Amino acid sequence: MSYAYLFKYIIIGDTGVGKSCLLLQFTDKRFQPVHDLTIGVEFGARMITIDNKPIKLQIWDTAGQESFRSITRSYYRGAAGALLVYDITRQRETFNHLASWLEDARQHANANMTIMLIGNKCDLAHRRAVSTEEGEQFAKEHGLIFMEASAKTAQNVEEAFISTAATIYKKIQDGVFDVSNESYGIKVGYGGIPGPSGGRDGSASQAGGCCS
Amino acid sequence: MQESAELHDLSDDSDYAASQQQQQQELRSVVRTDSGKKIVESESEGAEVVFLKDNVTIHPTQFASERISGRLRLIKQASSLFMTWIPYKERADSVGAVTEKDRNLYTIRAVPVTDIRSIRRHTPTFGWQYLIIVLSSGLAFPPLYFYNGGVREFLATLKQHVFLVRSADDVNVFLVNDFQDPLQKSLSSLELPGAVSIANSSSTPTFANSVPPNENFEGADVGTSSTSQYGGRHGLKVNDPARDLSIQVLEKFSLVTKFARLTTSNILREIQNDGFLANDRKKPSQSLPVNNHETGLDEVQSVPDTISVTPDPLEIFIVWTSIEGLSDAELCPVKQKALCRKENQGEEAATRVGTFELVDCKEFDKITLVWGQPRQPPLGSEEWATFLDAEGRVTDSKALRKRIFYGGLEQQIRNEVWKFLLGYHEYDSTGAEREYLASVKKVEYETLKYQWQSVSPAQSRRFTKFRERKGLIDKDVVRTDRSSSFYDGDDNPNVILLRDILLTYSFYNFDLGYCQGMSDLLSPILYVMKDESESFWCFVALMERLGPNFNRDQNGMHSQLFALSKLVELLDSPLHNYFRQNDCLNYFFCFRWVLIQFKREFDFEKMMRLWEVLWTHYQSEHFHLYVCVAILKKHGKKIMGEEMDFDTLLKFINELSGQIDLDATLRDAEALCICAGENGEACIPPGTPPSLPVEADLLYPLQDDTDT
Ligand SMILES: Nc1nc2c(ncn2[C@@H]2O[C@H](COP(=O)(O)OP(=O)(O)O)[C@@H](O)[C@H]2O)c(=O)[nH]1
Ligand SMILES: [Mg+2]
Repeated sequence: MSYAYLFKYIIIGDTGVGKSCLLLQFTDKRFQPVHDLTIGVEFGARMITIDNKPIKLQIWDTAGQESFRSITRSYYRGAAGALLVYDITRQRETFNHLASWLEDARQHANANMTIMLIGNKCDLAHRRAVSTEEGEQFAKEHGLIFMEASAKTAQNVEEAFISTAATIYKKIQDGVFDVSNESYGIKVGYGGIPGPSGGRDGSASQAGGCCS
Repeated sequence: MQESAELHDLSDDSDYAASQQQQQQELRSVVRTDSGKKIVESESEGAEVVFLKDNVTIHPTQFASERISGRLRLIKQASSLFMTWIPYKERADSVGAVTEKDRNLYTIRAVPVTDIRSIRRHTPTFGWQYLIIVLSSGLAFPPLYFYNGGVREFLATLKQHVFLVRSADDVNVFLVNDFQDPLQKSLSSLELPGAVSIANSSSTPTFANSVPPNENFEGADVGTSSTSQYGGRHGLKVNDPARDLSIQVLEKFSLVTKFARLTTSNILREIQNDGFLANDRKKPSQSLPVNNHETGLDEVQSVPDTISVTPDPLEIFIVWTSIEGLSDAELCPVKQKALCRKENQGEEAATRVGTFELVDCKEFDKITLVWGQPRQPPLGSEEWATFLDAEGRVTDSKALRKRIFYGGLEQQIRNEVWKFLLGYHEYDSTGAEREYLASVKKVEYETLKYQWQSVSPAQSRRFTKFRERKGLIDKDVVRTDRSSSFYDGDDNPNVILLRDILLTYSFYNFDLGYCQGMSDLLSPILYVMKDESESFWCFVALMERLGPNFNRDQNGMHSQLFALSKLVELLDSPLHNYFRQNDCLNYFFCFRWVLIQFKREFDFEKMMRLWEVLWTHYQSEHFHLYVCVAILKKHGKKIMGEEMDFDTLLKFINELSGQIDLDATLRDAEALCICAGENGEACIPPGTPPSLPVEADLLYPLQDDTDT
């Protein structure tokens, strides 16, 4: 599949908040409560369309446990977007850790990375421990986009991924990124803005490899 | 008097007496006629032929027309003994299948006998007796077939001049220089990859280093061929565009070469009549399938007769020596020649050496090699019983570990044998002792388990660490192997067992606590053991070694990934350089492999097979790192060819999950491990998991494990 742009996303947050479920819901449109916990990193990808342009999202789903932070940090490199996820039913453990996740992201990702804060498991309203307002407040303070979502019911899942992409796309149009510099987590594909890296990784049908 | 006993022993040989006589006649005739002139000359320099045998022949191929006969001699000069084997000059009437070049190639020019490490005598049921002579360097000469007999007196003569003893392991092996550990000795002398250095020096010690004691001993038989051919053959021109290709080829063969040298020395160490050697002979086809589908070379058009040979060391030797002697333009014919050698499976050697494959003759850079010993069928309960004495002790743990290393275990005996491999049971414990241990350990487990079971809700409210740990474990056990029938479904009791064991472990080893990945390690153990307490103690034993993988500061992981980078540097320097240039030297892309021992890279059965192989610590305690190297090396061409960056590489490696051919990988890893030898082990700092920690006290430096 050819694309105009490829954006690299990274999903971060404490273990068990539903990062992998969010990814699966977005890529496969299903909720699978029974799956293996994430070790290291896992990948997902999906095409979306923004402004009539095909955009490929390549999503990195990371392991959340504290011990793995040092390795998780190496995944930030070249991410255009990050979904920072907490679990609305676990106030103390997951919401309180947001600040340290954010710190990691700010430190190891590029400064223009778009960060979406997601309060997941909003289907479990009866067990809510973090109010929507608290989430909004945190996002506002730290300049993040915010949404509550449910990987189980799929509520706001599309929206979360796509509005992040739309924000990145807007930044491109505003000239925030040098899209030919892949360290911003953006690759230009066919139909995108031609640049030095135009066409690279553009299509599976691309023949052979170049040999420079 | 031992000597005469030995000599007497030699006389049990049917042709001993006759050949002894023959030898004497020959010697006399040598002195009198054949080489009379030379001897006279050499005597002036103190040289004396103490043994001479005609029609000693090598078999470079299966074709009788390509055999090369010659004369084997032992020559004494001053106090030193030298061995020579000079091929006969081509007779005018010969069909000419053997070229002069071949003849020169195999000529053995006055090797000091002190350079010989060992000699293996082969006595096939049909055919001629032959010897394989292995040098201290680890290199072996092609088998020398004694068409006229004379093996015994050759050995007897040697024995009169050098210290020659029979190997304790094998009556057919004679050690000339009785090193403590011959293999290690030979490994230390091996060079490491790097095509140029291979081209420059790898073979020279064999021939060129052995200065002929007397030039007169050659020449008379083979004309004026000289050592200069060996010394000056590496005419790689600096500006030759084909040079890079040639170096690649040499690099590939350099590993084969080293492997060949090692396997030949291995042959000497192996007990020839291993139980499972017989299996090999029965199923030669087992090693035949070509793994094109997993070589990553699907797109490559293989030659129709793509072959998988189980060559004897001689064959590899031939390929190696041939290719070094040739210019780039000549490489292809050599390749063809190598491809021709497929049916030549000398019965003994073939099964011990393994396989190498040459795929696609047309393109050298597409050559792939699969090597290492063929895998064996898993150890079953009947054979397992043979490893136990009457009281149930494992009598030869090394043999057992070796057997498992090459074949793994059948499922029904895993629960018994894993306990030994993991170190929970001592090999020399009796069955009764183990039964007793199980009951003691069960009580101990229950006590440990009760520690957390007895935490009241009120206590729990004041015990954050406990609550967090329990919460984490509760979350993870329902995300562990739930697709396997053993753990699937709601309220599966096995999931509860996983939870209980992990929680108990986090109390047993409170400093380490619980970390993600542990449930992956426990799950197969519980699946195999079924019993809760036994699973716990096996897990404890495993964590003695793998615990550092889960240290908060990740030092166990970092030291392994560091060692891995050193091993790749050693065994695949182009790939290492590529990683270095692309900022991939942290090897984080191998993180999951190492953290949970490839648990996620194979299906359940294959994963258990791999684990038991790793746990034998047979070739190396760190065999898992060689497995990493084997997989990386296999895909190195693709990684570099597609110029994968860190991200792409990570994704690529992740997606290899389920795509890795375990058997081929194990064989490659074994070969790499043997190739690397001491230099490989030197890459791995002491205490690197799964080695036991250097200082047990510092196992788990106090760490704050609240998730903040
Ligand atoms: N009710 C509910 N449960 C969820 C939701 N998302 C995830 N889960 C559950 O939370 C657990 C952890 O999810 P997972 O995606 O593995 O978390 P991760 O560690 O962040 O990747 C799983 O067992 C899911 O069943 C959600 O939106 N609603
Ligand atoms: Mg996950």
